[in-house]
Amino acid sequence: MHIPDGYLGPQTYAILDVAIIPIWGIAASKVKKSLKTRQVPLMALGAAFSFVIMMFNVPVIGGSTGHAVGATLIAVLLGPWAAVISVSIALVVQALLFGDGGITAIGANCFNMAVVMPFVGYYTYRLIAGDGARLARKVAASGVASYLAIVAASIVAGVELGIQPLIAHTASGQPLYAPYPLTVAVPAMALEHLFFFGWVEAIVTMGVVAALGRQDSALLAMKPAARPLRWLWAGLGGLVLLTPIGVLAPGTAWGEWSAGEMGSRVGFVPEGMSKVGGLWSAAIPDYAPAFIKNPLVGYLVAAVVGSALIIALAWGVAAFLTRGAADDPAELTAV
Amino acid sequence: MTGEHDIAPARQARIRRPSLAHRTAWGIGRNIAEVLANEELAARQGFLQRIEPRVRLLAVLLFAVTASLLHSPWSLAAMLALAATLAAASQVRVRSFMRKVWGSAGIFVILLAAPAATRLVTPGRVLVSLGALSLTVPGVLGAVTLVLRVVAAAGIALLIVWTMRWNDLLSALSQLRLPDVIVATLAMAQKQIVSLMRTVEQIHLARESRTLSAGTTAENRDWVIGRMAFVVHKSVRTADEVYDAMLARGFDGTMRLLPRDRGRARDWFYLLAALTFCAAMMALDRGALR
Repeated sequence: MHIPDGYLGPQTYAILDVAIIPIWGIAASKVKKSLKTRQVPLMALGAAFSFVIMMFNVPVIGGSTGHAVGATLIAVLLGPWAAVISVSIALVVQALLFGDGGITAIGANCFNMAVVMPFVGYYTYRLIAGDGARLARKVAASGVASYLAIVAASIVAGVELGIQPLIAHTASGQPLYAPYPLTVAVPAMALEHLFFFGWVEAIVTMGVVAALGRQDSALLAMKPAARPLRWLWAGLGGLVLLTPIGVLAPGTAWGEWSAGEMGSRVGFVPEGMSKVGGLWSAAIPDYAPAFIKNPLVGYLVAAVVGSALIIALAWGVAAFLTRGAADDPAELTAV
Repeated sequence: MTGEHDIAPARQARIRRPSLAHRTAWGIGRNIAEVLANEELAARQGFLQRIEPRVRLLAVLLFAVTASLLHSPWSLAAMLALAATLAAASQVRVRSFMRKVWGSAGIFVILLAAPAATRLVTPGRVLVSLGALSLTVPGVLGAVTLVLRVVAAAGIALLIVWTMRWNDLLSALSQLRLPDVIVATLAMAQKQIVSLMRTVEQIHLARESRTLSAGTTAENRDWVIGRMAFVVHKSVRTADEVYDAMLARGFDGTMRLLPRDRGRARDWFYLLAALTFCAAMMALDRGALR
């Protein structure tokens, strides 16, 4: 997921390089408040751990191996703000000591792997594991959280790469940086993480959380955060408000073509597709409710309805899983 | 019998394949060797090594930003040539430099950019007719530009990796007013990374030396995850020990600044030359496009 130099234009990398500075500032301030002077060795060791975990070859299936990023694991162990600093430092060391990842793209790489991943991972973990869950639930929560976090980060990276042909090209249409549009870049990044790297991340995170839970459960104990869900709701609201951006992307997302589009692209419609294509009619097809004419408003309404349904479903599953669960004593404060 | 003869070589090949522990230990060992080799290269008395670290870092950042702003393949090729020239003047072999740059970033970006040269991705006037995979003029130009941009940027970044000792880099960051707590964390992180890498290498070598069979995927996975959990434990324990050691040495929460150099005339002359070169490249690039 490391984006090297040259793939992102200055409009993108400069914004992310500047944006990451206040995030680091807030992270440093949050960490300092809770960890005091112990922060330096702990952050350094967190960074070292983050760096080294990427070097383990994890056997997956059929002799293939993969690498994990470990950002969700670090967020679960140290808290999301501490993970921001640890993973950022690991990425800076990788870029400056090993030349892995770019210099101008440091902001983008840190944003994707040291901000998006820890926060998505941590709050998904908190949402599923709750404040005092049993180990089995923590393990399951860490697996789901790490999977979603790396997929989310890969989609953000895909968007960063996919907007390059839109914002930086010559008069003749020659792309100046990453050449593939959103319809190619986002699915390309997301699919490899949905089908391979996401599973590696989940297997590693679940395995380590399970091992730590058995050996030293204090490492996984967290004091309930003051209002942990407040920021989650705010983030969700922000994402819902941003959904109309999707309307800006031209054409259909890669691989999501209808039978008609498939026919026009390849000259025929596969038999299976034409047979089963009409079996299910979505309630809100193409994220556009029939009674709303404005596509931007339609996207927004679809996002609100979809989020509400998913929350209700997750709430129901969590209520079912947590019936009768007792809280663990809280020992450490995650930051 | 025929079947057995057919299967036997495949089994032998599977046995001969290096084990997971061997491959991981080898990979980590190579990385440790690379860190040491980089430090050795950076300690040589070449042109860049004599420039004050802060000026050296600023110039490299200037080159990297300039490379990202250039549009013409010729200008980008000139930036790559500049990086190679600076490397040669800094006692780095140009062949090693080019091998590293093209081997690490070049091959990947060529594979990635190749489809973008076809009319499937970039429509336009056809340059080479190959049916659906015909190469178009804007496609080829875009692909060449991307390849040269990525390779030039990788070469510029390599100037930091190969000509700056880690302590020089920290000194430069400190002089550029990066908070001392971040500089101290970076300094400690680098030492701990090498230390943890050695630990992980030894863990894998120990397993390699006491196992006869390659083991199943599930066994190997369980073992790897168990070692990762051990690394977490070791990291937390070491952090506590390091902090105790800091306290024992009188650490009171204030960070000691690294000694700050004052740049000499030749350092500022180098920075001025770098600025002039970048400005000239920008002017030529925009002129070349018109």
